[in-house]
Amino acid sequence: MKSFENINVRSVKEAVGLLQKFNGEKKTAQVVSGGTELLQLMKERVATPQYLINLKTIPGLSYIKEERSGFRIGALTTLTEIEENKSVQEKLLFLSQAAGEAASPQLRNAGTIGGNICQRPFCWYFRSASFTCLRKGGELCYAVTGDSRFHAILGGGPSYIVHPSDMAPALIAFGARIKIAGPAGEKTIPLEKFFVLPQVDYKRENILQPGEIVTEIQIPHPRTGSKGFYHKVRERQAWDHPIVSVSTVLQAKDGTCQEARVVLGGVAPVPWRAAKAEAFLRGKKVDEAAARQAGEIALDGARPMKDNGYKVGLAKSLIQRALLASV
Amino acid sequence: MAQKEFSVVGKRITRIDAYERVTGQAQYTGDIQLAGMLYARLLRSPHPHARVVSIDTSKAEKLAGVKAVIHHQNAQVPWASGGHTHRRYIFNNPVRFVGDAVAAVAATDRHIAEEALGLIEVKYEKLPHVLDPNEALKPGAPKISTDGNLSVGKGNFSAPIAEQWGDLEKGFKEADRIFEDTYISKHVNNAQLEPRASVAKWEGGKLTVWASTQGVSNARTDIAKDLGLPLSKVRVICKYMGAGFGNKNQAQDYDLMAAVLAKVTGQPVKVEFTREDDFIGMHGRWASEQHYKIGVKRDGTITAVELDAVTNVGAYRKQSGNLSGTDFYQIPNFKKVVKPVHTNTVVGANYRAPAYPQSVFGFASFLDQIAHEMGINPLEMFLKNRVRLYANKTPFTSNFLEECAVEGAKKVGWKEKWHKAGAAAGPKKHGIGMALGGYPFRPGLGAAAIRVNPDGTAHVLVGVTDIGTGAKTTMAIIAAEALGIPLNQIQLTNGDTDVTPYSVGESGSRTTPFTGPAVIAAAEDVRKLIFNVAAPQLKAKAEDLDLRDGKVFVKSNPSQSLPLGRAVARSGELIGRATTNPTFKGLAGKSFAAHFAEVEVDSRTGHVKITRYVAVHDSGTIINRLAAESQIKGGVVQGIGMALTEELLIDRFTAIPLNPSYRDAKVPTHLEVPEIEVVFIEHPDPYGPFGGKVVGEPPITPAVATVANAIFNATGKRIKELPITPDKILRAAQV
Repeated sequence: MKSFENINVRSVKEAVGLLQKFNGEKKTAQVVSGGTELLQLMKERVATPQYLINLKTIPGLSYIKEERSGFRIGALTTLTEIEENKSVQEKLLFLSQAAGEAASPQLRNAGTIGGNICQRPFCWYFRSASFTCLRKGGELCYAVTGDSRFHAILGGGPSYIVHPSDMAPALIAFGARIKIAGPAGEKTIPLEKFFVLPQVDYKRENILQPGEIVTEIQIPHPRTGSKGFYHKVRERQAWDHPIVSVSTVLQAKDGTCQEARVVLGGVAPVPWRAAKAEAFLRGKKVDEAAARQAGEIALDGARPMKDNGYKVGLAKSLIQRALLASV
Repeated sequence: MAQKEFSVVGKRITRIDAYERVTGQAQYTGDIQLAGMLYARLLRSPHPHARVVSIDTSKAEKLAGVKAVIHHQNAQVPWASGGHTHRRYIFNNPVRFVGDAVAAVAATDRHIAEEALGLIEVKYEKLPHVLDPNEALKPGAPKISTDGNLSVGKGNFSAPIAEQWGDLEKGFKEADRIFEDTYISKHVNNAQLEPRASVAKWEGGKLTVWASTQGVSNARTDIAKDLGLPLSKVRVICKYMGAGFGNKNQAQDYDLMAAVLAKVTGQPVKVEFTREDDFIGMHGRWASEQHYKIGVKRDGTITAVELDAVTNVGAYRKQSGNLSGTDFYQIPNFKKVVKPVHTNTVVGANYRAPAYPQSVFGFASFLDQIAHEMGINPLEMFLKNRVRLYANKTPFTSNFLEECAVEGAKKVGWKEKWHKAGAAAGPKKHGIGMALGGYPFRPGLGAAAIRVNPDGTAHVLVGVTDIGTGAKTTMAIIAAEALGIPLNQIQLTNGDTDVTPYSVGESGSRTTPFTGPAVIAAAEDVRKLIFNVAAPQLKAKAEDLDLRDGKVFVKSNPSQSLPLGRAVARSGELIGRATTNPTFKGLAGKSFAAHFAEVEVDSRTGHVKITRYVAVHDSGTIINRLAAESQIKGGVVQGIGMALTEELLIDRFTAIPLNPSYRDAKVPTHLEVPEIEVVFIEHPDPYGPFGGKVVGEPPITPAVATVANAIFNATGKRIKELPITPDKILRAAQV
């Protein structure tokens, strides 16, 4: 690991100020919370920041608050805290499950929700210091010619990473919003607008600008009558990223869908909202045929690479199963 | 040895060093701190095949804290145990795989050493490379070794490895049906818990190396030979180890690098590997492509087997590259040709039962498939063809393979649960599978000394290292049993070439069969001395005395007794010693096993859940039940990993390993492993110490095939290439 200076900050404002200052001085600085993700990148010398701004010393950034409008979760809340929170378990359908299936118990004890959403890709070409890939300033996405078994089938090009977060697709299924602090103050946007497709900018996974920090996730209460389903398919049942994950929230009456959210993980460079499938489902009786067709629509336009074609059928069958389980 | 009631042997004994290990008091190699010690890190080749044109270390050497940089020009040290067929050096030119060591830096701290690696300027001239063993055998393929890519053997290794008996042509003529197919296994890393480290220190012309090795004696021999030192000028110490599974045999290149750096700097040096170093720089299990032709009678009896295979031994031939999975079957006519092939990839060498699990996967999967195609129950197929005579001619010292299979089938409920492959309805499909396995049990050279102290305790000295198998405890149990004193009166010192007697090396499941008899003989030796000094004190003849529970007594009148300590007191101490070298005449030794697994395969996701696992073993008498059960479970876990998830992936264009980490190479976690039910079929072997055979390596051998056969029974689709990951199951389902 390259040596660095650690700075403990006391407030978000101080952190934002430091980020701006270092950016202005052309110095590299990164914020760190749980450290489970950044430390790996630093050990592998994929990230070599000169300064680490430690957010853990900021009081009051770790909380789960239930309000009339919904839940507010502080960015420094650990995945274990979300997994074990009683209200989350009772009211947010599968969010506790999604948190509990991420990473491993040790990583969930340290890793935070803010960090989870801001993860860099786990593509092996990106993670290895031996490859200067497109996303690291090189000219190639090595997955195109190399081993693409875990890469994107949707939304890829020119980079084909899949977004590694388990929490993001689940949160988007709930219609979560994300609060960002920056030099110009605070803003809150829908979480799905936080992520960036490679065709927009292949060097970043999200919209955060220098000086900006994620401070809070807001999750509205699911509408009355909503049912959810979450399933993460992976090779190893702990400490593994999804091959494909599905998060669905469905509001139905007498088997007829009124509102649906279908979000896939592990298939695209961003958490992949299957908006056309959602629109198709609205007003439909959710039966075998409709569920199957929703899966077909969601994967319409999938462009598998050399090694990841199996994900297409897998995603379709997962959607079908999720929808049938949600009515 | 006549069967008798044991006082310690066969019980469930907690490790004698468990407390030190779990409280962090145990000093592993990486924990060793010496005054003035430097830290070393390695620079590895980024190219699969390249000539090192020049190395400029001036910038690295200028970095404050850097004390020495060594490479092929200033440290041309041969690495004897690194290559069986060619002279291999600690730094080679050309470099032959991504990860081949190029230079090592010693500095005052780890981070400086690591920083310095980036300042070494190496000019490479890239050479053509080849990754696939079949490509490597083609004429015109890039030559990795001067003699070509089919590894040329010497000593015990012939090239290609060939074995033959009976009359193959006749065997196939006798067959009612002949089947042919190919099975493929991949490179998997040993993934032992303890990362590699070595500490070297010179004192008055004598070198001491704290190594993490599966053999202090042969590590010393190798280090002395490689550095041109008299044997007496090298001391190797290994007290605690966090496993190796065959990739820490003897001395490794980094032990020699530590020694050279310590010599150059005049300071002790610790070399440490990162986990990535470990995955790419050392070795894993050789991958294989196994082509079988099998002839069978209508009733399923095998008449002939022909195996034509290539194994990928990587850039250097470190060990055999053989495939021995046919060992567990009675094959009247047999021919095997295994070609160990060089490629520009990480070395394929020893990993727990080196030639077995990949090869049992191939053969037992194919036999299971043949049973399916002929409408024979696999249990019947395996029982019918189980081995009776080794290589169709030599009787075994003991063989309870049939009992293993019958007992296991009963326990798992084979009769009720087995169904036709792929017969289950619904998305979650139940499957059950089995396979046979085991590992050779060989006798050989062992040595031990036992000192009996005037306080009645005994101090056992053995050269063995405890690589994680509980060998220290096993030796203490054997000593307590043979001496006749309680286990808590035994102390044990191991793994120090200046202090402890010779040991052959803790690999090949040799520890108990080689050193166990020596401990028994040393105990018998010191008992004679004890009885001699006790005889006048008890006013009896030495031959009329016995020792049990720490008391020396007259056999005909046990109340006429003396505490052991009192008997010894006047002698100061008594030392017994023995070197033993038992042999089997006209016999072959083997531990046997039959494994059974039940799985649930989700046909929608390709997920395999192992719901039950039964492992039945014939290892003769069990010395320590707790340790033996743990060994079986550990072997099964590794087999499950190899069957379902583990593979070191190499990028096909750059030859760079893609997943050299626990996270990405997918070593199994607790969630992949069911409760493993271990059963021992316990009949004492006439040749083993207290009737014990071997335990360490057998359990991994049938595990991969057992899981694979259960998956087939569930899905009706045969996956012929490891690991059986969800993508393969989903693809097979579409066919």
